[in-house]
Amino acid sequence: MSVPHARGFLLLRRGGGLWGIANAAVDGLARHGVDYRITIGGSGGSDLVADEILGVVEDLRVWPLAPAVRRFWPEAAAGLALHGREPVVVVDPGRPPAALSAAGSEEGDHPDDEGRE
Amino acid sequence: MISLSEAAKSAGKSRLEGTHLLVRAGEYACALPLASVRRVVRALSVHPLPGAAAELEGLAEFGGEPLPVLNLGRLVRAPAGPNPTYPVTVVVWVGPTEAREMLGLACDSALEVVHVPAGSVVAGDGGFLLGEAPVGGEVVRVLNLEALGRTG
Repeated sequence: MSVPHARGFLLLRRGGGLWGIANAAVDGLARHGVDYRITIGGSGGSDLVADEILGVVEDLRVWPLAPAVRRFWPEAAAGLALHGREPVVVVDPGRPPAALSAAGSEEGDHPDDEGRE
Repeated sequence: MISLSEAAKSAGKSRLEGTHLLVRAGEYACALPLASVRRVVRALSVHPLPGAAAELEGLAEFGGEPLPVLNLGRLVRAPAGPNPTYPVTVVVWVGPTEAREMLGLACDSALEVVHVPAGSVVAGDGGFLLGEAPVGGEVVRVLNLEALGRTG
């Protein structure tokens, strides 16, 4: 399934957390066994993985990542936001966090299951 | 000549200086500068951040904004205490005044407001742990929240 370049953020769940990726950075989204693979521009062609796709929201108010977060979380991010009352980490498409990396994702690596609903 | 508002501000400031909120974090009692405390609320629901150090419990929502929540017990390396019956999140300002940020500190309980004279604080690391001071027969860790917001 291709994702049209549009405004908004793709919201997904991974590792118990909620993540947002600018829709404009998303090149593709596909079911891959029990999880989802997301192709984003700027990630060097590597896919991201998600447990669940929540959908697309038109807009998110993004707050910068606080220094205290950077001190205890060694990842880059475009910032933090809220969806409803749940915090969202807004992904920097050029430097996605390891938690979303498809490389080394074992539980989602079931290519034979592709397309299974 | 000092104006009335300046005098009132000065009086308020001097009242706050040395005034701390005492909280329990594991086996330790910690004193947080009251001027940096914004609110004490029932423990907020926290969403973990994969890959974060143990000190960062996760993210919560407070006042319509995302709020990073740190585990105070882990920050001060306190031995674990008994299961808290009324855990709280203390919402604080950290960092220098010109670039302060809001953080949540997950604590086992909020105890009381106490006065900790600056002269009674000894043996700190000059950073987040300002030092230790005797309060009501117990040695408490006096914390410098301004240092917590500094990068590096």
